[in-house]
Amino acid sequence: MLEIKNLRVSYGHDVVLNGIDLKLKTGETVAIVGESGTGKTTLGLSIMRLVEGTVRGVIRFNGKDLLTLSDNEMQQIRWSQIAMAFQNANNVLNPVHTVLNQVMEPMIEHRLKSKEEARNRATELLGYFGFPRERFSNYPHQLSGGEQQRVLLAMALADDPELLILDEPLSSLDAAARGEVGNLLKEIDKHGAKLVATHDLDTASKLADRIAVLYGGKIIEAGPTQDVLSRPRHPYTRALIRAYPNMTTVKDLQGIKGRMTHSVSGCPFHPRCTQAIDTCQTKVPQLVWNQGRHIACHRGGIITLLSTRNLTKSFGSLKAVDSVNLYIEAGETLALVGQTGSGKTTLAKTIMGLHPPTEGTVYLEDARVDKRRKDFYKRVQMVFQNPGESLSHRLSVLEAVMEPLDIQGVGTKKERRKKAIQVVGEVELPQTKDFLNKYPHHLSGGEMQRVAIARALVLDPNLLIADEPTAFLDASLQAKILKLLLNLQEQRGLSMLYITHNIAAARKVSDRMAVMLNGKIIEEGSSNEIVATPKQAYTRDLLRAASTLHSTESSSIE
Amino acid sequence: MHIDLKKEIKESGPGKAGLIILLLMIVMALLAPILAPYDPYQQSTASLLPPSWQHWLGMNHVGQDIWSQLVYGARTSLMVGFGVGIFSTLLGTIFGVSAALVGGIYEKVVMRIIDAFIVIPMVIIVILISAYIRPSIATLILLLSFLSWQGGARVMRAQTLSLKERANVAAARSFGANHFYIAWRHIIPDLGPILLVDFIHGVRRAIFMEAGLAFLGISDPTVISWGMMMRDALSFSYLNVWQWWLVPAGVALSLTIIGLTFISHAAEPVIEPRLRGVGIA
Repeated sequence: MLEIKNLRVSYGHDVVLNGIDLKLKTGETVAIVGESGTGKTTLGLSIMRLVEGTVRGVIRFNGKDLLTLSDNEMQQIRWSQIAMAFQNANNVLNPVHTVLNQVMEPMIEHRLKSKEEARNRATELLGYFGFPRERFSNYPHQLSGGEQQRVLLAMALADDPELLILDEPLSSLDAAARGEVGNLLKEIDKHGAKLVATHDLDTASKLADRIAVLYGGKIIEAGPTQDVLSRPRHPYTRALIRAYPNMTTVKDLQGIKGRMTHSVSGCPFHPRCTQAIDTCQTKVPQLVWNQGRHIACHRGGIITLLSTRNLTKSFGSLKAVDSVNLYIEAGETLALVGQTGSGKTTLAKTIMGLHPPTEGTVYLEDARVDKRRKDFYKRVQMVFQNPGESLSHRLSVLEAVMEPLDIQGVGTKKERRKKAIQVVGEVELPQTKDFLNKYPHHLSGGEMQRVAIARALVLDPNLLIADEPTAFLDASLQAKILKLLLNLQEQRGLSMLYITHNIAAARKVSDRMAVMLNGKIIEEGSSNEIVATPKQAYTRDLLRAASTLHSTESSSIE
Repeated sequence: MHIDLKKEIKESGPGKAGLIILLLMIVMALLAPILAPYDPYQQSTASLLPPSWQHWLGMNHVGQDIWSQLVYGARTSLMVGFGVGIFSTLLGTIFGVSAALVGGIYEKVVMRIIDAFIVIPMVIIVILISAYIRPSIATLILLLSFLSWQGGARVMRAQTLSLKERANVAAARSFGANHFYIAWRHIIPDLGPILLVDFIHGVRRAIFMEAGLAFLGISDPTVISWGMMMRDALSFSYLNVWQWWLVPAGVALSLTIIGLTFISHAAEPVIEPRLRGVGIA
């Protein structure tokens, strides 16, 4: 019904939409999702031909290219066939008309209905959206935001349009009203199509069959709503979901590094991406069909950074790690959870090459890792369990943080020093001369662990393996270190393998979890699934034994 | 865990005494030209004189001033001692640490070579070789070093095996460090006290060996040494010259070795803390 091809909209030099392709079938609802400023509203306005910029491309509505129609012809279509509910109610509602008149107006203006019919239809629509009848004669400024929103929706539906464009339809409603209005919107107009522009993932998931994620004027991922939301494949989509407060995910909220800027060369998202490569800076990725999803990414969506295949490590007859298959995607945290002695640390050390594997292989970005050379360690780093031991007592803070750079022979001594001091700042430690010259035994446990983290980050690795990084810290320090790790992930796009016996801490920092028992991975999945619906008895035991503040039943692992 | 070798030695009575003795000997060797009133090589017709104000310890059988010989003898002993100490510790460190770090066949080969050396009676080998080549001081140092690094290497290897399991070594590896870097930056600094003890052992053994060889008359005859003085004096034992000829040389040698023994005994707890008696940990 609606087909948009290579739509470009610019205001002066600012390109707001940069080659949008979108199809909408009758009866379908598509959500356009993205941060503020990605061009969602502009897209809606372009279809309505209400945009005040240069519009190029094709918008075909029922066979007619809207962009080539005369103003008069467009006037025929606008509101009667294509209607839009605007976001900013205050600017749209006419302050000198009553509510009922506002809704009647378009019907009368388009001479679709007599005054009487219009009144009935308006009454019906307002009633449908739960607008109280006794307030029909109120003026817009007398209404609350939620009530104004309902009026706007009623107005948009007044002429019974085929295509309804909803710009943030639920944003000014409270949670309860959202559910109600959301359901109403879903019910109406099954024969027409809806285009929902929203930054709110909940709205998208409530209303839309398909979702298209917009960034920097381009669609970067599109697919069935539930599919995209439960398993995002573009780094930006995942970042959006991480930043969105909801009851499904268990990980702490995380932002996206940097700010959105327009007119970026290459992929619009590359300055903020977790897996950008050189091509991303120069070439614009095309939206292509890839395993059930449209994705615009040079790397085919989120990549698998590291994976193991049948990785086994035996000590004599004991299989400490037993045929482990794991993968870690770029920019995500995988928590490896299990009790002491389950082989977690051995697995980490085997991945790091500190133990030679008995069997199996490690792959870094699909390349088999056999002999680990210096460049492997540039990309994969580890924070060891006990910072008091892993920091040499002979090296000062500065020397310890510089050590990896010294070993790798990066830059001049001056550059290494500068880099080390910068990273010390990144882990929120003082950069004073006094502190940099301290030795580990002058530091507190929390400071030592931060130094150890800084040391692991100084080479700018892609993957950080953190082995019980908070095991020696009290709860408040633990919280700070976990927050730090989350922030570092946000800022640097780090992938993390977070090893812990504490499933309560793991669920706060991880996107996915793998539960390890006797050297085997017995359960693996997204953290929220593992926490909400554990499949294995052992996982349930772990969850039952995890810290809680209400000890109603005694809990222990049998 | 910081091991303070200086403190360890200073807190032990014999350790302190040993240190003082060794320092005295070093001062004597360094200041030999000042302390010795005569050229120790200068022969004269005044042979076998008893002590006098001109010649504190009298004259030997070829008319050389015994006190001057004693003073210069300290130079020989200490030079051989420290030379061998340095070289054998160096060899021991290189082979011991590398064997532990590299492992595999290399380690096996090195350790078997060490075993082979240890079962060979070193004294006899040294005597045999010396008898043939009559070594100068330099060759003697090399010969003794070559024959005496093995014990140290074993200790060094054992210690390295334990040190290399530490997390800071694992961390360094995870930055891509090679064996050499790990040995130099993480293992050897922590071997410090053990190196010193091994060094002192080496010094003591070498001084003893040098004196023995000279006593047997199979070292360089042109170099004055306590061992040689004792040998020469012994042939005149029917006269009472031994009192100022044989005894001072013997005492100087014994004192030096006792001093070194005291120091190494005091430093022993550094290697094996269980030897430390009841005290502050």
